[in-house]
Amino acid sequence: MKTKDLTIMAILTALAMVLGWVERMIPLELLIPLPGVKLGLANTVTMFSLYWLNLPATMLILTARCLLGGLFSGNVTALAFSLTGGVISMLVMAAAKRSRHLSVWGVSVLGAAGHNCGQILIAMILMHSGAVLGYLPYLLLIGTACGCATAAVTAGVLRIARPS
Amino acid sequence: MMKDLERLTFRKGDAVAIGAVILAAIALLIFFLVSAGNGQAHTVRIYRNGEVIREMPLGENGEYLVTGTYENLVEIRDGRAAITRSSCPGEDCVHSGWISQPGRSIVCLPNRVEVRIEGSTADDEVDAVIR
Repeated sequence: MKTKDLTIMAILTALAMVLGWVERMIPLELLIPLPGVKLGLANTVTMFSLYWLNLPATMLILTARCLLGGLFSGNVTALAFSLTGGVISMLVMAAAKRSRHLSVWGVSVLGAAGHNCGQILIAMILMHSGAVLGYLPYLLLIGTACGCATAAVTAGVLRIARPS
Repeated sequence: MMKDLERLTFRKGDAVAIGAVILAAIALLIFFLVSAGNGQAHTVRIYRNGEVIREMPLGENGEYLVTGTYENLVEIRDGRAAITRSSCPGEDCVHSGWISQPGRSIVCLPNRVEVRIEGSTADDEVDAVIR
């Protein structure tokens, strides 16, 4: 692993954690009172890393971000949700990215949908009940909007940051 | 890598992908609304870890404190139910507000609690009373 890649990965991990912290200050759940609703700002880092670096590097950044976040908050439930949602979303995005017909927009929205499905899956396992499945359509619709927002951010950053 | 970086502008395939997600969401929404049933809402059932821990009539005002990892106060007022107080982080359950329709539920994930309104179904209704 090159030192430059390692440095980029460390910076991206730190950035993702800061974005996750900033996100907690935006009271989106007051506007849309559903469990698990969030902007997914940290997802811009995952997407940037998928396009800029590669899948293994992104996996490392994601795992480090979720574990450190869980360590700081001390919330094991939240850790289970962020890790499962994050990994499923990342795998979906990595697969979607291979399609020549999709740009960051489609990749981001599909990643958000993957994240929502992962969250509901974990919730169903934790609750021993399928009732939370009723939240899925709402989460998918909000996730689509948030996915477009993060796509706009990622596209903007990737445009400015041309590889040297 | 450069090839990937050229795919930053919206494409036709993106519209198809976004459309598919929205369609799936709407289809699920319609499915859940239809399957929720239209019976008379009459019971509030409180689940923890998937098991019923308490049943309360929706018609009577009352409250019940769910204990566990955290505490949720379930309140029933004027034919509606809500979690009005909770010690869980985030308090999404409190923000969910009041529910009264059969099939609707409030979920507190950190405490693994679900408050669900049950409607009357055909088999628990009395068909006729013979004297």
